[in-house]
Amino acid sequence: MIGADCAIAGVGHTTYGKLPEVDAYALGLWALKDALGDAGLGFEDIDGLIVNRIPDYQRFCEIAGINPAYVNITPGQGRFSGICIQTATALIRSGIATTVALVYGNNGRSAGDRYGGAADTYGSGGAGDWFAYGMTSPGAFHALMLRRHIELYGTTPDQLGTIAKTFRDHATLNPSAVMRAPFTLADYHASRWICEPLHLLDYCLINDGGVALIVTSAERARDCRHPPVYVRGYGMATTLAGSTFPPDDFWRGSMRTACARSFEMADVSHADISSLMIYDNFTPTVLFSLEGNGYCGEGESGAFVAEGHLALGARYPTNTSGGHLSESYMQGWALNLEAALQVRGACDGRQVKDCAFVHYMAAAPVVSSIVYGRDPS
Amino acid sequence: MRLLPTIDGPDAAFWQGLRRRQVRVQRCHACGAHRFPATACCAQCRSGERDWVAVAPVGVIETWCVFHRAYFDGLPVPYVVIQVRLDCGVRLYSNPTGVEAHGLRIGMPVEGVFEDVTPDVTLLKFKPRKDA
Repeated sequence: MIGADCAIAGVGHTTYGKLPEVDAYALGLWALKDALGDAGLGFEDIDGLIVNRIPDYQRFCEIAGINPAYVNITPGQGRFSGICIQTATALIRSGIATTVALVYGNNGRSAGDRYGGAADTYGSGGAGDWFAYGMTSPGAFHALMLRRHIELYGTTPDQLGTIAKTFRDHATLNPSAVMRAPFTLADYHASRWICEPLHLLDYCLINDGGVALIVTSAERARDCRHPPVYVRGYGMATTLAGSTFPPDDFWRGSMRTACARSFEMADVSHADISSLMIYDNFTPTVLFSLEGNGYCGEGESGAFVAEGHLALGARYPTNTSGGHLSESYMQGWALNLEAALQVRGACDGRQVKDCAFVHYMAAAPVVSSIVYGRDPS
Repeated sequence: MRLLPTIDGPDAAFWQGLRRRQVRVQRCHACGAHRFPATACCAQCRSGERDWVAVAPVGVIETWCVFHRAYFDGLPVPYVVIQVRLDCGVRLYSNPTGVEAHGLRIGMPVEGVFEDVTPDVTLLKFKPRKDA
């Protein structure tokens, strides 16, 4: 196989939480400055830009004072973090750009964003047809999926609670995490229902924040301030037809396709992976991802997480930052940032030992699988 | 005031059907697939030829959830939302009647119940089928 030809050369982020004094543009710029400083690059080095959740690319470039050769703007859905990272490598590989800045800014908490209700446009935007029956929100969509998982496989509340608790335990070691107070399984069971079978502690945390990643060629990345984080493999697949309703297979089919492609490209197997970053908008998404990406069998994810495999020090430390559930809902971006920091060995008290490969995965109507590596081949 | 569906849009035939105690959905002339809500072409064969037909208001429950957080005025919580697959293949979100959440199960046969909520709007809800 040939070595990886693209790498993450710089990562940056804002603080997360309630930041009413800054808008999405300012959050994105804050993160971008941080990422360029991290890479040892300047604004003039950026010749490709993709913004996510920031309202307008032109306004962003005006504020930043940049004229990248290539620009794009993507919808504020978490599935787009994985899409953007893969697109950046394609831009670099094709010669359209040499250094691509991926910039995410989200002021959802201060803006009072609500995922559910009359403004709900989750998924294909067809939600309005069902408001009269009270159906709304991505949370309810995942509650419907979880109910099926419970009925088909016997998945238990303790298993869900273990996911939430494990990520909270990880967040206690992350100074950037918004929620750092540990909780017990009893606390989990006592947390109020939002959309049963999902408790409050099964939901991610809506916050303000920004993340930026600098993607460039492996060769250029080797001249930057930190060792490159190689993008060793990636794959995407979609389940969009009929997606007003949950998929019968919990997105397993598309995840298998995306995972296989990324592993083949990276020349790795599950045995090689050191740590997982799983898109955790809700706890059940972690179950679906583990099954779809082949870390356990169909229907076995509940038992798998209850065995403790996702904790730091166990076989597959997962969402070592606390993830969306406890660090902050940065829609996949902060999970990819954490993947890069783990590969660099820069995670201090939550560092995974000898972290050679990190696997990022997102289960949604568009699934992504990305393998990051410490070595180019 | 609860949120009501748009009954005079592309799905007018569906809502008019419910007033008459009928479930009407689109059927593709070319391949016979049923679909709802209304679309300009069939997602199975891409034919644009279609009409509205009455289908049997029977199906099965595929899954459900219970809302404890209120998102809409006029819809007091808790309430149950079910996902139903009609025998014709069309999927719907709805609410159950005559059965509590703990009495639901996957594959439970259900039949339509027509609930007039205003002089113009009828909703399609579902109750367990006794004969099945």
